[in-house]
Amino acid sequence: MTSNPGGAESSLRPVVAANAVAVGTSTTGARRASLRRILSQRSAVIGLVIIGFLFTIAIGADFIATHPPNDTMLRVEEGARPRQAPCIHILGCPADQPQHLLGLDGNARDVFSRIVHGSRTSLVIGFVTVAAAIVIGTLIGAVAGFLSNRTDGLLMRSMDVLLAFPALLLALVIVTVLKPTLFNAMIAVAIVSIPIYARVMRASVLSVREQDYVTAARALGDSSFNILRRRVMPNAITPLIVTGTLGIGTAVLEVAALSFLGLAAQPPLAEWGTMIGNERNQLFSAPWLIIAPGVMLTLTVLGFNLLGDGLRDALDPRLSR
Amino acid sequence: MVHQPRWLSLVAIAVVGMLVLVACTPATGPTASPAASATSAPSATAAPSDAPTDAPTDAPSDAPSDAPSDAPSESPDASETPATVGLQYPTDGGVVCRDGDTPGEFNGEEYTGNIESIQAPDDLTVVFNLCSPDVAFLQKVAFTVFAINDSGWLETNVPSGAMLTDMNGTGALQLDEWRAGSEILYSRYDGYHGEPSAVASAVLRWSAESAARLTELQSGNVHGITNVGPDDFETVANDPALQLATPEGGANLNTLYLGMNHNVEPWSDPLVRQAIAVGIDKQRLVDNFYPEGSEVATHFTPCAIEFGCEGDAFPEMDTETAIDLLDQAGFNEANPLTTTIQYRNVIRGYQPLAPQIAQDLQLQLADIGIVAEIEEQESATFIENSNQGLLDGLFMLGWGADYPEVTNFLDFHFGPGATSAFGDFYPTIADPLSVGNSTADPAARAAAYAEANSAIVAEVPMVPVAHGAFGNAYVAGVDVAQASPISNEMLARMAPPEGEEIVFMQNAEPGTLYCADETDGEALRACEQSMEGLYGYATNTSEVEPVLATGCEPNEDASQWTCTLKEGVTFHDGATFEAQDVITSFALQWDAANPLHVGSTSQFEYFPGLWGGFLNASAQPAPPE
Amino acid sequence: MIRFIIRRLLVSIPVLFGIIFLTFLLARVIPGDPCLVALDQRANPQSCALFNARFGLDKAVIPGVFREDGQLVLRLEQLPATLLDNQFTAYLGQLARGDLGDSVANRKPVTQVLLERMPTTIELTIYALIFAITVGMTLGIASAYRRNSKADVGTMMVANLGVSIPVFVLGLFMAYLFAVILKDSPIALPPSGRLSAGFRFDTIPEAWGLTELSGPPRSILDFLSNMYTVNGVVTGQFNLAFDAFRHLILPAIALGTIPMAIIARMTRSSLLEVLGRDYIRTAQAKGLRPRLVLFRHGLRNAMLPVVTVIGLSVGGLLSGAVLTETIFGLGGIGLVVYESITGRDYVVIQGMAIMVAIIYVVVNLVVDISYGFLDPRVRLS
Repeated sequence: MTSNPGGAESSLRPVVAANAVAVGTSTTGARRASLRRILSQRSAVIGLVIIGFLFTIAIGADFIATHPPNDTMLRVEEGARPRQAPCIHILGCPADQPQHLLGLDGNARDVFSRIVHGSRTSLVIGFVTVAAAIVIGTLIGAVAGFLSNRTDGLLMRSMDVLLAFPALLLALVIVTVLKPTLFNAMIAVAIVSIPIYARVMRASVLSVREQDYVTAARALGDSSFNILRRRVMPNAITPLIVTGTLGIGTAVLEVAALSFLGLAAQPPLAEWGTMIGNERNQLFSAPWLIIAPGVMLTLTVLGFNLLGDGLRDALDPRLSR
Repeated sequence: MVHQPRWLSLVAIAVVGMLVLVACTPATGPTASPAASATSAPSATAAPSDAPTDAPTDAPSDAPSDAPSDAPSESPDASETPATVGLQYPTDGGVVCRDGDTPGEFNGEEYTGNIESIQAPDDLTVVFNLCSPDVAFLQKVAFTVFAINDSGWLETNVPSGAMLTDMNGTGALQLDEWRAGSEILYSRYDGYHGEPSAVASAVLRWSAESAARLTELQSGNVHGITNVGPDDFETVANDPALQLATPEGGANLNTLYLGMNHNVEPWSDPLVRQAIAVGIDKQRLVDNFYPEGSEVATHFTPCAIEFGCEGDAFPEMDTETAIDLLDQAGFNEANPLTTTIQYRNVIRGYQPLAPQIAQDLQLQLADIGIVAEIEEQESATFIENSNQGLLDGLFMLGWGADYPEVTNFLDFHFGPGATSAFGDFYPTIADPLSVGNSTADPAARAAAYAEANSAIVAEVPMVPVAHGAFGNAYVAGVDVAQASPISNEMLARMAPPEGEEIVFMQNAEPGTLYCADETDGEALRACEQSMEGLYGYATNTSEVEPVLATGCEPNEDASQWTCTLKEGVTFHDGATFEAQDVITSFALQWDAANPLHVGSTSQFEYFPGLWGGFLNASAQPAPPE
Repeated sequence: MIRFIIRRLLVSIPVLFGIIFLTFLLARVIPGDPCLVALDQRANPQSCALFNARFGLDKAVIPGVFREDGQLVLRLEQLPATLLDNQFTAYLGQLARGDLGDSVANRKPVTQVLLERMPTTIELTIYALIFAITVGMTLGIASAYRRNSKADVGTMMVANLGVSIPVFVLGLFMAYLFAVILKDSPIALPPSGRLSAGFRFDTIPEAWGLTELSGPPRSILDFLSNMYTVNGVVTGQFNLAFDAFRHLILPAIALGTIPMAIIARMTRSSLLEVLGRDYIRTAQAKGLRPRLVLFRHGLRNAMLPVVTVIGLSVGGLLSGAVLTETIFGLGGIGLVVYESITGRDYVVIQGMAIMVAIIYVVVNLVVDISYGFLDPRVRLS
């Protein structure tokens, strides 16, 4: 542990070390076994259900949404006002009033439809940022793990510099530098999370580098790339998946926080963090405008976290069962 | 596992060495003396604004009645004069006013200002001699930026920088403590010259979120809050424990406008600009995105301001005509006009809900066949682009009154000195404005502003949208619940339902407490509690009333104003208020070469804006070529 | 041990240097001219030139690189001339003199801003950490002890929910609940601020009659005075400590919820891992009471990753402080950082980022040292 002088130890390090040793070959049988183990984890199942639900609405958004997400009801529906309370006919809302399941927002748009469409935005944000961070992070981690002490030191110290900044602050600065757009916010969040994956990857590389079969492969003239592909990746893939799953939740939250501060998604795009940020001062006069996207945001992060936890529990043999 | 690369220690040593080396190199930092910066710009003259740090404070600190403000003009005998009789600024006169096309002059350089001299015939009289008439004189001297400080206090506290966080005024409340980040505490000044403060102490706090302010109010932790959110007007009005305060007469002294730069396509075509003028449903914006009491704008200047609404009004909404005008300009369904809606996401009285307004505008423009994208710009960048005429879309910007006078609205935007926001200035608008601001005759002014306003409607440099209402909320029982149209609520004039302390919450913490060099309304409010000018604004209105003066009387054409000072007024530190204090307070802003011409940024933005320009303007370091 | 600490400190230097350089550079490439921010609609080319000269913003940013009209421009011919005379060397020189520069917005020295604002954030962070550690570890232990029971699943759901709720949503709702809905109940809590409005109290120098004191000792005392709960306890002004504490409860919970949940999860999984080891099984087989096994053998060995996570979450807490301080109106450095980023106050951004990074590095150093106490094997290596 003391070899990480920057002091920025990845929170997942112990698990990683464990996993790196554990998951070796991936035969069909082993795969089926781990699938069974995953499904035996309650939290993983709940997480999967939540994520499945989110994917369903994201894919079917056009059919589920009752209105186009960016259309105002002003001048379309008689008497429509911004921030009208929810009107649901079966719950006693007069039939002559147009139905809006979650009411209208500050621009008199249907909140339910915006929430539904917002799930697309959030899922894309989560997957794309984490994927980008994993690709770059693994590359850095692999290089650092394989190459000399000097390059390793340089790379990992740069990762320490990145880690030493509180993530949101660094993202805040990056977004301001690049101009506040959703895409740039995603870049910022991706950059901020690179060090975690770099560390995971480097740990995996280090754990196998000195093992006999790798030394043997090297002696036989196998290229670094091949060693990486055949020997390291199978070991690294599990901790990367676990970290990545947990990271999706974090990424969604961080982009939402940037949106809340008005530095990410731009109007009129339906994005939950922006929806909360735009209407945060209406907490008392129109609480549904905050509760609805707040619940969805919580649910999304919860889903990925539960799944990530479940995966870890299932795939880490050192946890007592 | 532990490996200790040697290069790391080498880098470490190198870094430490570098730090030490740089530390020992004298004066390379931004705080360096003017001499150091002169190496990069040899032509730059010595910065006089640095002067006070160079010049030791040899000014006598014991006697405010001495005449130290003329320190730079080498008149040793002046400090011997015991009384202020015959005192004037500049000491030897010498200001040559602008006359027609001949520019004004002082000390051999051009002078653009309107003040010729400030004189004190005796301790209780101050005469302002102006170059050309100024009918807004009282409104200007009532502005917080021109509050009077004790001259002796200024001489010690400006050079030390203490004036940024301390105040020594004549007001009913004196500053106790500024707890950075939390609150400002005031207590009653027992030696106050007017009606004593209604409360023994007052607290000013802040929160940027209107929801947080309302929570504070509802939880009973504060007695009053500024700027109730548009949607919370109803909440407050319906809550028996709360009361809503709006300015008397509902004067909304601000304007949101949609600007168009006529130097760029498509706004160079007057037909397009006219189409926007009739194509926007202002009523829908006011109904949905502004608090109750806001008005649709018919003129650029709010009608509550004298001469603001002379002349033609902007036309009513007419979708057909708008589409027709666009068609004439060559835009139709097959070839739609495409543009961007540019705005900054800040909350101001004129745009309480900027993103919502922008998004609704986008939809409204779609109705007349214009395809507009929304572009939110960072606030400072937006202002920069606007000032340089770089906003090429339809841009949402607004203006809130500094003081309630028509010139503060029109001249700043359409006069010859205006920014390039709307492109090159329109002479048809600028010409009548220069007539209006140099005469005192009401009939002539009315005619001039009627002409200017009509020209604005004809040219359409922008479309005025709304005058936003604002309201403060108080717990029930606060007396008097104030809402000032120019944001100077006086805590000393409010009494809470119980207790001897009033707690008020505004939007933000002041930057500094030296308001001569502040433009931020949050700082001005904090200053107003303790500082007073010759005149001030009556509670809840934009009417001026004498405060430190018993009155200021104009001569026939309003080019000379004689102010008689109130007797027996003392500052919070005990010093006596007299003519010298008025002269010093004005002179340090007026004269860029004055050793006390130092503030937080030393820009004193309002002074040249309101009084035309600085003396020794070149003494402000020349801009690099 | 001392050698270890010194070595760790030495290795931190390049990291700090990297941080200084990175913040410096990032602050310079932020679009938006600080002059325009300061002067707003009243800015013009003359006043801006003046302003930039005053703050040294007209010099080269780093050797050969200038900032013009918001763009960084490379001018190689100027490289030699600006090798030592540029904003970065000027800044390093300042830093070496312990001067973090003056705020562009209000001319205040950044060190003074730090002295004024840090106590708020430190106090908030400490209480949030206390909340996170006590609640998080309790939940984690309980959950591991009764593995796979309903209590376990329930606890972990709560923990996961804790990680998932955005700070701003939780903060807004708690403020509303405790300040407005429960207004007249005994558990009503103030929604914002550090003290009840206008609360008058003595600072530590005042209470101890040390008002004559000046220099660094005075600064330290003033710093401590500004941590109101500390001030209240050491000077015996318990009403002050109590009032300050009441104001800290909601923000500390809002801020501490995410680390609380992370700690709970880490405690649980780490404990479960340890409980699966042979020596624990042996202890259990010997018939030791399960609770004894858990606390005496399990917990101590499971602490290492938990302590790591606690150290790491300090970084997260400082991030969270931005949102928490905004919502609860606490004028700490989180708020200052956010305001100076949106207000382009370079000097403050740099100073704050460096301070935050130093705190982070120090905290993690402490964490590393604490490994030694928790696990003797670490000390040996």
